[in-house]
Amino acid sequence: MAKQKSKMICPKCGDEMNHHADKLVEPVRPEDLKHVNPTLSGVIEEMHYCPGCGAVESRRAE
Amino acid sequence: MDSRPLNIPVILGTTRKGRMSEHAARFMVGQIEKRNGVKTELIDICKLPMPVDNAGEGIKDPAFSEKMAMADALVIVTPEYNHSFPGLLKHILDSCLKEYIHKAAGIVGVSAGPFGGVRAIQDFLPVIRELGLVNIFWDVNFGNVGKVFDDSGKLLDEAFVSRADKFLNELVWMAKTLRYGRDHIALDS
Repeated sequence: MAKQKSKMICPKCGDEMNHHADKLVEPVRPEDLKHVNPTLSGVIEEMHYCPGCGAVESRRAE
Repeated sequence: MDSRPLNIPVILGTTRKGRMSEHAARFMVGQIEKRNGVKTELIDICKLPMPVDNAGEGIKDPAFSEKMAMADALVIVTPEYNHSFPGLLKHILDSCLKEYIHKAAGIVGVSAGPFGGVRAIQDFLPVIRELGLVNIFWDVNFGNVGKVFDDSGKLLDEAFVSRADKFLNELVWMAKTLRYGRDHIALDS
């Protein structure tokens, strides 16, 4: 599965965020099911952190 | 050098009336406040909106979420009830996820009996791990808590000052290290 390569931009301060973790999460909602990685048996959520202001964001890996 | 102070809130993890854990939580806040470059606050789960007709991120409270997002580490004060931690503590922690990832956690156990919450802490560790928090290897265990604080919350056993100091030394080290990682170290792709 290819990872998203575009950097997230902090919605609070506009700095470029650091993608520091991927988290496997259980599909909870019906719409989550189409995002399940069959190899890993869950949805991969990318975790991003802003070095400028400390904000956190996440997005689904594609 | 990062100029932002470390942010280490203390979560008081019980809603029970007459809870002795409040004394332990306020003591930990006081110990953190003595440290330069670290800020803290008490987060009392009793004061958080906590619907029970849903769970997980479905009950996310924006104010609690923001506090967790801006934290570098958490001190979680948990009593031991029936050999485990309170269900409402897990209910509120489960409401966030991205806010916790790669942040440090230290657990403070409280019990009326002699063991200082060790069974609650052992139960709690897998939860901490799954939430993406990084638990330190020091705990503070307030066993026989009725003898550790008086009714007003005054500490009666000064040994807890040095125990808390060791715990906080490790927690601050881990918080600084993980912040550096979140700031600068990208996940390999």
